[in-house]
Amino acid sequence: MPGRQLIMGFPVTATSHSLAEYRARGGYAALDKALRQMQPADIVKEVTASGLQGRGGAAFPVGRKWQVIVHDDGQPHYLIANADEGEPGTFKDRWILENNPHVLLESMLISSYALNVRNCFVYIRGEFDLPYRRLAGAVEEAYAAGFFGQHVLGSQFSCDIVVYRGAGAYVAGEASGLIASLEGKKSYPRNRPPRLTVRGLYQRPTVVNNVESLSNVAWIIGNGAAAFKAVGTPKSPGTRLFSVSGHVNRPGVFEVELGYPWMKFLEEDCGGIQGGGALKCVVPGGVSSKVLTGADIANLRLAHEDLWDAGSTLGSGGMIVIAEGTCMVSLLQVILRFYHHESCGQCTPCRHGTGWMHRIIDRIVAGEGRPEDIERLYYISKFNDGTTICGLGDAAGYACTGILDKYRDEFEYYIEHKRSRHDGNLECLRSS
Amino acid sequence: MPEIFINGQSVQASEDQTVLQVALENGFFVPYFCWHPQLSVAGNCRMCLVEVEGRGLDIACNMPVNTGMKVFTDSEDVKAHRKAILQFITLNHPVDCGICDKAGECTLQDYHYAYNGDASLSRDAKVTSTKFYNLSNRILLDNERCILCLRCTRFTHEVSKSMALGVERRGDVSNIRPVEDRPLAEDPYSDNIIDLCPVGALLSRQFLHKSRVWYLQPTPSVCPGCERGCTIQVWHRKPEWYLQSLDQRQNTSIARVTPLENPAVNGPWICNKGRDLARIFERTRAEQPMLKGRPVPVAEALDAARRLIGASRHPVALVSNWGSNEELEAFKRHLGEVFHSRVKRDWLPEEGERVEDDLLIRPDKNPNSAKARELFDEGGPAWHDGTDLVLVWGEGCDFARIPPKARLIFLNSYLAPENGHADVFLPISIQTERAGHYTNFQGVVSRFEACFPKAGSVLDAEAVFKSLATPARGHP
Repeated sequence: MPGRQLIMGFPVTATSHSLAEYRARGGYAALDKALRQMQPADIVKEVTASGLQGRGGAAFPVGRKWQVIVHDDGQPHYLIANADEGEPGTFKDRWILENNPHVLLESMLISSYALNVRNCFVYIRGEFDLPYRRLAGAVEEAYAAGFFGQHVLGSQFSCDIVVYRGAGAYVAGEASGLIASLEGKKSYPRNRPPRLTVRGLYQRPTVVNNVESLSNVAWIIGNGAAAFKAVGTPKSPGTRLFSVSGHVNRPGVFEVELGYPWMKFLEEDCGGIQGGGALKCVVPGGVSSKVLTGADIANLRLAHEDLWDAGSTLGSGGMIVIAEGTCMVSLLQVILRFYHHESCGQCTPCRHGTGWMHRIIDRIVAGEGRPEDIERLYYISKFNDGTTICGLGDAAGYACTGILDKYRDEFEYYIEHKRSRHDGNLECLRSS
Repeated sequence: MPEIFINGQSVQASEDQTVLQVALENGFFVPYFCWHPQLSVAGNCRMCLVEVEGRGLDIACNMPVNTGMKVFTDSEDVKAHRKAILQFITLNHPVDCGICDKAGECTLQDYHYAYNGDASLSRDAKVTSTKFYNLSNRILLDNERCILCLRCTRFTHEVSKSMALGVERRGDVSNIRPVEDRPLAEDPYSDNIIDLCPVGALLSRQFLHKSRVWYLQPTPSVCPGCERGCTIQVWHRKPEWYLQSLDQRQNTSIARVTPLENPAVNGPWICNKGRDLARIFERTRAEQPMLKGRPVPVAEALDAARRLIGASRHPVALVSNWGSNEELEAFKRHLGEVFHSRVKRDWLPEEGERVEDDLLIRPDKNPNSAKARELFDEGGPAWHDGTDLVLVWGEGCDFARIPPKARLIFLNSYLAPENGHADVFLPISIQTERAGHYTNFQGVVSRFEACFPKAGSVLDAEAVFKSLATPARGHP
């Protein structure tokens, strides 16, 4: 077990997601405590003090986002749980929705109380079937038990929740694109300013948090910010759910206390590389984060500060482990095809840049690469960075330059010899 | 009033302005495609990227002013990014300027020359899309040329409120498409999207491949379609480019009509009726003075009219509300004492025409009712049994109701059966052949200029009235 567990610390059974078992594990005690013993401002203070960082990718402090909301400004506020988990390699929110949906609901109730929210939303990706059914079931249970609706647990606080299913767009996972989609529009992200905490859903102050970020709130309120800060490292408090995929023996979702040694995690918890092969590189947190080679991560801990120092990020926790013998050109092709397919087409650089990159990499893979192609990919990445409305354009560039920086020789080889150095291989070679 | 610095120069801004507005107001040009002063900020073209000291690049159109901020509109970084944005925009753009109606007045063309100038960095095939997509019976859409600035969709959502356009699919295959059950054909303001389009994606069917724009010149004018009196530009062939062969009527025909921005009346918009002035002005003209259908020289017709007026005891005049202020005043001055005058409504709403809305269209479909009403009576019966002479100026008269014994002087511009029945018929000029002013329903006076010369036998109404006021020579 890679350190302490705050969210996944119970055995998963066929009924462990039910309200009864959640309450048996101490669930909804934090809500009770919040409503009876705490003022909304205390909760915001507690969450801020906990140092909880967003788990969706940007690691923005949750408390700082919340502090923008003015409690009694006379207008409705909204809270949205972002369950549009679409970052390639990421499936950790899915675990929460399937196996512990009540921790999200309890946390959302506490957060709604803290932020003076009457109506909160879960925006869940349309492809999630079981997670949706589990969540919808949990919402029903929670309503029946009086956690939602008028006068929650007999208090003055009332709250309703809507679970909204997306229609399948990566960009709807971007907070403002999500809001546009929730409003019934095409999920075009919005220009900032105004920030969503000033004008978000229906032009009202809105907090959009990742499912995992929110799910930590119940624990923080139940156990206190100090206890939360005692978990993890000073700059990365708490735990993170990593969804590990790729060439490891035991892929899956793991809750890891931040600060845990990375290689130890891969070797012990994930069972090492398939077939005993060597580690080539790791995509640390979804394909939008830059890849790190085996050598890069040798002495790193799974903590934000370590990753930032190494020039990457923990991102969304979607860890893709790549063994030696994998063709990075083919890998980049997969990634760039994804960004091209998912670009919403709203702003110029990303609309054309992602397609341009995709066409170039397709050509390289087809053996028609040209020497200037690598420079062109850098050019497109550079002018996509910081020039687009949302982060999708930037991310496509990071993914591209991340791989190019580290494996340029593979691309040059491919272009020169019109074939892959690794036979275009994306599977793990088990022969070794 | 926050003070900000643009390229090192101090300028005063107001708090609700964006950096782009402040820059444009103070003479610092920042290029943009999607921004439009009358539409919401979309911020999608990314062309207006500027550098702010300490904050890097961001788009000026969505940037609120902050006291003391230092903005650079022309730094090396800004130039490099502008150039790259144009590379992105032209990546899948067909660059078919040679066959594009927009060439010559295309924002993309202008910016390419000003800020990029390089050939495309890509040698790969371009993304193809639909050409000549039928948006309505008035507008074609070329999706390949479209740069998805969304000005057209925003216009139909925010200004005309027809909600007729949206975006289909995503990424570099997204297309502007009509929205189900919201036909653009029913939007009486639809043609404004053709002007709004910064490239040649939205094409007027009426103007399609009709002329290169550099052969045309605009003449400021006023739309006579209703009492709003929107100011317009009437585009016609430049005299130095007059055709010497082929169909020379093209030299004096209206190529197209566009709005002339006018905050006092119509802002930057006009309705589709105003685009179709050729339908009004290019009907077959009456060019020959006649007495009971017999062609006569101008002087003879005028003489005959004078004699009729001189002999009449109870003359009645129906005054045209298509006459300019000058013409109406001339009538009042010269013949106001002679005739018992009434204002006539020359045009009534046509079948299927939108009668009124809260944007521009007004129920009175005549340009100068306000001035005509100011000078002449509108209501009450125009004639009685003793009426022995009727002067009809312009269209819209119900001739059947004129007392049968009364003689008729008719001033008209277009071919009509009544022309030949009138005792005296005088052909008069139309709006595009003379200058003048109209007064709209709000009292705003707008001037129109002459676009074309008139035929020699055609008279200006103003001159006719002056001439009729002088006593007749000889006796009837």
